[in-house]
Amino acid sequence: MFRNVFSKSMFFIFLTVLVASLAGCRATTRDYSPDDVVHYDEGYDFSDKNAIVDYLVSSLVSKPPLVSRYDRPVMIVYGVANRTSEHIETSGITDDIRMKILQSGKARFVNKVQRDNIAEETAYQYGGNVSPETRLQRARQIGAEYMLSGTLRSIKKKQPKQVRLKKKTLQYYSLTLELTDLQSGLIEWTDNAEIVRESSKPFIGW
Amino acid sequence: MTRSSGTNRQHRIFVRWICFLLMGAGLALCGCTSSNLTLARNAFYSGDVVMASQALDEPEKVGSRDRLLYFMEKGTILHYGGDYEGSAAIFLQAAALITEQEVISATRQAASMVTTEWLTKYKGEYVERLFVHTFQMMNYLLLGKHESALVEAKQALEVYDTYPEACDGDYFTRALIAHCFEALDEINGAYIEYKKLAELMGNPAPVADKLCQLANRLGFYDEVEHFSQFLPDKNEEKRERPIGERLIFLSRGRAPVKIPHDIILPESIRFSFSTYENRGGYFPGPEIPPLPGIGTRTRVTTDVGKVLRASLDQRLARIIAKETARVVAKEAIANNINDSGVESLVRIAFFLMEVPDTRCWETLPGTLTLIREPVFPGDNEQAADGPDNPDRFYRYFSIRN
Repeated sequence: MFRNVFSKSMFFIFLTVLVASLAGCRATTRDYSPDDVVHYDEGYDFSDKNAIVDYLVSSLVSKPPLVSRYDRPVMIVYGVANRTSEHIETSGITDDIRMKILQSGKARFVNKVQRDNIAEETAYQYGGNVSPETRLQRARQIGAEYMLSGTLRSIKKKQPKQVRLKKKTLQYYSLTLELTDLQSGLIEWTDNAEIVRESSKPFIGW
Repeated sequence: MTRSSGTNRQHRIFVRWICFLLMGAGLALCGCTSSNLTLARNAFYSGDVVMASQALDEPEKVGSRDRLLYFMEKGTILHYGGDYEGSAAIFLQAAALITEQEVISATRQAASMVTTEWLTKYKGEYVERLFVHTFQMMNYLLLGKHESALVEAKQALEVYDTYPEACDGDYFTRALIAHCFEALDEINGAYIEYKKLAELMGNPAPVADKLCQLANRLGFYDEVEHFSQFLPDKNEEKRERPIGERLIFLSRGRAPVKIPHDIILPESIRFSFSTYENRGGYFPGPEIPPLPGIGTRTRVTTDVGKVLRASLDQRLARIIAKETARVVAKEAIANNINDSGVESLVRIAFFLMEVPDTRCWETLPGTLTLIREPVFPGDNEQAADGPDNPDRFYRYFSIRN
């Protein structure tokens, strides 16, 4: 009965489809270098972050005021405001910028994020358990001379509705960073990094 | 000869078995909402948010076709249960799934052409996709994460732009978007959204004070003059600058649900569709007393049922086209079967499988109202205290009856 209903050719077609469908189910992993450029879609990703950080740090350390300063001025990071339409953790950008500037030896940073913990540790040391000789001294912290801040913006443009099989999206990102002299309130340096990317997505899939 | 007739008989038996199997599979899919979804909805409306949340503790408890509904219902339940962080995490997954499901599945669409619409993955009505961002904005504002709320506001604007006819009646979400811009001092964006809202409502009075304030800051003095005529009390004595603003997200009643309807034509043609119908019941809602001495409370309300109906109407032409194509396809298949017994069986199966898709987001409220009132120094400060950081200018509350 089996032979009568399913001819040999039908059986082979069935077998081919089965093998083809199972072939795509194998889980795979692949390592990338953080320096590789990898984009899955038009959205912001780690490759964009690396490109933006490299460009802006290079600009900051090679232009005034930092290029002419050899006393490693103290800076404080006031974060990058996210004004895009995506949930982006901008602290990753500022952490990398701070790390690269520190590694360049052109500036030092006040640890704003750890201020509460520093205050807590100071209070502990003055709580009676720490010997006066090893206790840290109060009012010895360094005040920042410059403030680093910025804004990440994006503009997204979708292809207008028409008969087609793919949908194209154009995405623009711009990160503007600025260095403000805290004493004078003047912006001493500013630059921006831009990324424009087009991607297309099919309307129909399996 | 004998062998040939035996083979034909075996073939017919085999085809009948295949028909039974297909019928069983098709009928199993028709009109089936996951029992966990039903349990969660019932528990939610009986006031047991914990049980409702437990019924949806894992996505696998709901079929993959209803995964979006799982995220929508669970996100809502967590929001009204006060777990704004959990709700935000769930709605993020809902938004990601909506984007993922924009790609039309050829296999599911083809299968649904000869079976039932329940075979396809639920993509959400256009305005339901907007409400995902509405709840996200409320969650992030209640958590004091204004930057994330603005991200959601921008995503909501994309939905408005894509489906304007379906979504423009949702005034509440537009008011929230304007507030998200305003809270981060993006006053140009805020002004544009308040102005659009005033145009869509046809009456600028509920947002006239905001339009006057922002137009003044932007230097649009002719606009200040224009909108000041809509202020509730122009002669009110000028008071000192408010120290804060209280925003209440008031949700009342239950949104309508989809009800199936049929048109039966001889010989076995069944044409089915669904419409949004009210669930009845009276919801007086909690009265939110205004703060003492405040006369400038404003309200912006969305009739959720109205926008859901408008959203379904937007898909009407597409629904009718697909329904007609399905009826034609089923009729063609049935007519091409030579065996009268099998044909009857197939016709019965097709008839029973023709069940309209009544899946919808059932924990949505009937109305959503945004109440705003300024807080002045003095006795009102206590009344403005809320779950938010007390240092902030804005205090947020989400209330549901």
